[in-house]
Amino acid sequence: MTPALLFFSIFSFYPIGNAFYTSLFRKNMLSLRPPKFIGFENYTYLFGSPDFWNSLRATLVFTVGTFVPILLFSLLFAVFIQSRRRFQKFFQLAYYSPAVLSSVVAAAIWMIIFDPRGLANQWVNGLAGTPGVDHQWLVDYHIAQISTMVVYFWKYVGYFTIIFIAGLSTIPRTISEAATIDGASPWQNFWFITLPLLKPTTVLVSIMSMLQCLKTFSTQYLFTQGGAPKEPINVITLNIYDTAIRDHRIGRASAMSIVLFGIMLLLTLVQFQLSKSDEVSY
Amino acid sequence: MKTKKRKQSIFIDILIWAFLVVAAVMILAPILFMFTASMMPAREILKMPYRWIPSGFEAENFWIPIKGLNNDFIFLRNILNSFIVSGAVALTTVLLSALTGYALAKFRFRGKNIVFFSIMATMMIPFEAIMVPLYLVITNFHLQNSYAGLILPFLVNAFGIFLMRQYLVPFPDEIIDAARIDGAGEFQIFRRIILPNSLPAVATLAILAFRTQWDNLLWPLLVVQSEEMKTIPLYITKFTGEMSSNEGAMMAVAVIASIPMLVLFFAMSRYFLSGAAVYSSRKG
Repeated sequence: MTPALLFFSIFSFYPIGNAFYTSLFRKNMLSLRPPKFIGFENYTYLFGSPDFWNSLRATLVFTVGTFVPILLFSLLFAVFIQSRRRFQKFFQLAYYSPAVLSSVVAAAIWMIIFDPRGLANQWVNGLAGTPGVDHQWLVDYHIAQISTMVVYFWKYVGYFTIIFIAGLSTIPRTISEAATIDGASPWQNFWFITLPLLKPTTVLVSIMSMLQCLKTFSTQYLFTQGGAPKEPINVITLNIYDTAIRDHRIGRASAMSIVLFGIMLLLTLVQFQLSKSDEVSY
Repeated sequence: MKTKKRKQSIFIDILIWAFLVVAAVMILAPILFMFTASMMPAREILKMPYRWIPSGFEAENFWIPIKGLNNDFIFLRNILNSFIVSGAVALTTVLLSALTGYALAKFRFRGKNIVFFSIMATMMIPFEAIMVPLYLVITNFHLQNSYAGLILPFLVNAFGIFLMRQYLVPFPDEIIDAARIDGAGEFQIFRRIILPNSLPAVATLAILAFRTQWDNLLWPLLVVQSEEMKTIPLYITKFTGEMSSNEGAMMAVAVIASIPMLVLFFAMSRYFLSGAAVYSSRKG
């Protein structure tokens, strides 16, 4: 009991306070000068810096571009799987399996698939009927952003499908059965009964996948290491890492961490508000 | 009228099956690609169209990373490191979460609610927001390039405590009281009664903690620079940098890194899925 609490105070509360404290200093790992108190200068610097705005934009683009498809498809997968009488378990396991691989492995696989001579070009050209075109998956500004989204979508869509299936299974079957007897079509059943009752799970999945996307790092890191342009996919965590480790600017990196924390805290509070207001009772 | 409706519903049924099967094939294809490509020589992998059945087994792909570029077999050491770090974190997470969760579920003490809510509050702090200060803590104690540096920040986690508490709240008090009357010590009760009776939660939590560390790239990247102390994700990033032209060897590394997780997944898939599903029952 006490040791657990002790670790908590050292490794969770202390650092977040410390992160804020450090963000008020000009602190450089390599410099021998003592850190200098500069108030909110790190923050004013960040919000005047095109590089940081670029990171905010890259993170936002990635988050929106990833979580919306994840939300739609995981809901669709879950409803479809739930409606099957057989092979439910098989589909769950199949869709979930990419989540078992580590994110570095996922990024490595897709780096080869995105090679100019790789599978991605073969598939897309096969579907679009445009043989021999290179779509520059890891080269073009916007396509590189889409490539990182594809990796993340692939890895996590099954994970959220499982959460949706768990949410669906808490809805009593009797409700939709009653509606069917009253003459509701499967579509009406879904739209007017399942979806409203599923709202707590939908809110949960939206916020969780958004939080997950805001923290993305491995894919972007590996892609830039592999030669992809940095600017379009320089997400906040990648920027924090570079600022702290490559540039040794600890104070500025801490300020970035606090901004990221603020965004995520805001989202979590939104989730609390939303899930408080619509507790469903049957 | 009736037969028309039935025909329509059969048609929709087939469409749904087709959709699910196509999606499954597309999701599984990259994993199959990883396995087949790991057996091919590099020139075969990027040939159009891709041949899904390898003509032979290119053992060289696996031998190159295992041997290492300097013949030092460093990859094996890195694999061992991943096992040590992930295993240690899984073990301590389970033990400390079970102890704390048990205390929060079954004991009455002053400030219990404050403790519980402050633990819940830490769940809102993302690791990415505190990693820089944590990194400072680790460097101040000179723990870079050590197991301690890799493990310490993850010893306890709030979600684990929450999970164990939720699991143990409905556990009947009578059994615990009966054991006390029979003269069992508090630790004995925990070890002989509480732990064995919470195996599903323990397994879920252990797997979650293990794979989170197995997957961890960012933190080892901060605190480890020496080759001997690297974990598998660090090795993969280094290897993809140095051997980017040898796709077969890259996929062989990916296969080696994935096999422990895939084996665990097929043996205990229930606890993987329950780890995800826990969230949707997370209320209050």
